Amino acid sequence: MGDSQYSFSLTTFSPSGKLVQIEHALTAVGSGQTSLGIKAANGVVIATEKKLPSILVDETSVQKIQCLTPNIGVVYSGMGPDFRVLVRKSRKQAEQYHRLYKEPIPVTQLVRETAAVMQEFTQSGGVRPFGVSLLVAGYDDNGPQLYQVDPSGSYFSWKASAMGKNVSNAKTFLEKRYTDDMELDDAVHTAILTLKEGFEGQISAKNIEIGIINAVDRKFRVLTPAEIDDFLAEVE
Amino acid sequence: MTKQMVEVPPKGGFSFDLCRRNAMLAKKNEGAKAPSFRKTGTTIVGLIFQDGVILGADTRATEGPIVADKNCEKIHYIAPNIYCCGAGTAADTEAVTDMVSSQLQLHRYHTGRESRVVTALTLLKRHLFNYQGHVQAALVLGGVDVTGPHLHTIYPHGSTDTLPFATMGSGSLAAMSVFEDKFKEGLTRDEGIKLVTEAICAGIFNDLGSGSNVDVCVITKGDKEYLRNHLMPNLRTYVSEKGYTFPKKTEVLLMKITPLKETEEISEARDDMEE
Repeated sequence: MGDSQYSFSLTTFSPSGKLVQIEHALTAVGSGQTSLGIKAANGVVIATEKKLPSILVDETSVQKIQCLTPNIGVVYSGMGPDFRVLVRKSRKQAEQYHRLYKEPIPVTQLVRETAAVMQEFTQSGGVRPFGVSLLVAGYDDNGPQLYQVDPSGSYFSWKASAMGKNVSNAKTFLEKRYTDDMELDDAVHTAILTLKEGFEGQISAKNIEIGIINAVDRKFRVLTPAEIDDFLAEVE
Repeated sequence: MTKQMVEVPPKGGFSFDLCRRNAMLAKKNEGAKAPSFRKTGTTIVGLIFQDGVILGADTRATEGPIVADKNCEKIHYIAPNIYCCGAGTAADTEAVTDMVSSQLQLHRYHTGRESRVVTALTLLKRHLFNYQGHVQAALVLGGVDVTGPHLHTIYPHGSTDTLPFATMGSGSLAAMSVFEDKFKEGLTRDEGIKLVTEAICAGIFNDLGSGSNVDVCVITKGDKEYLRNHLMPNLRTYVSEKGYTFPKKTEVLLMKITPLKETEEISEARDDMEE
């Protein structure tokens, strides 16, 4: 008895009140590569491991951190192809909002709409939930913001968060190190140190990816390998 | 199945359902005419100079014989390196350029590259052809991309031309006469702006449907300058210089004039065009 008998169908609750497929989706996320985000006083940073399956893979062709609008970026843990689909949908929603209201979409609105898409896939027939959790970083009139969206469609605003393989260690590390008045550069250093905690092998500009958005120009951008090297050197 | 995002106009977009009824009503009631659209009765021009493309437009929007907008913007943003002048029905040009601009933004995210002028051209002409000329937008599209500077004209039915210099709108003949006389290959930036301004002025002064001021947009590789109201040959004074004179028997104790409209000098290119 128990939950396993109800794990075949997404749209059936188990006796304990859970949707077992969503639990499984969260497990898929939990076995994905670590990613994290930190909200600083004057910006947001998101970072992820970029471990490629083989040295033969051209790492310049892989970009895990994506831009949704000029001032909102996103990173994921979990299944890459699901992430691509969500990014495509979110970009389109942001663009539609902009066309209708002639205003850049506020971060909360975009997160809400993306979460609504993810929720749709937990209540329809013949589909499965997305196997990704997203960390959405953005800067709008309400200041810097960081949101996490789960496969169930629930979203939370975080000051700092981590997802993926090393989540419990990373979160403990972040809890110790986070301060409310952190500057963006400090946040990048903290992000690198957190990634380093659970990193297998040597950390370098080729196997991590960092995206930042600062208060000055409010533009989201992914750091170049040269910039990551500079930050890594400062951290040493 | 889940709702898929499909690229068809949503229900409530242009539907031809009422066209037959409109025609019947017009025939039935001899006096009742359908309300007229706001046409931009325009002069729009573009030319290719040595470093890129210059677009020019007048700023009068007409509603039949009435000037509806004395200072409207006819040069529309399509992409950071592509701008489009629009003649014809104002709503059509704005809606179609807005829509293509949106589609190009998504395309840029997906490809990670700068948009090409031919992409904008194809999106526009496909849309216009699909509506068989009912979307009355005549456009001059210009921009600079990796393959170089490009200038195109697009007609309401969806045909396009690729030209070194082009004019469209009701003032196109007046402007074309200036271009045919003075255009040459390899103009410098200042010569190009001067020629475009002359052509638009020819339209402003010789065509009823065009008037007011001249807008110019210069697009070069990696840079663009939107010179809004580059030339204002039709300035209007609103207030009599003498001020208000009271009737003779009134004793004026205090006169204080508060300007209702603050005039601002906009000297640099408008960045809020884009977002």
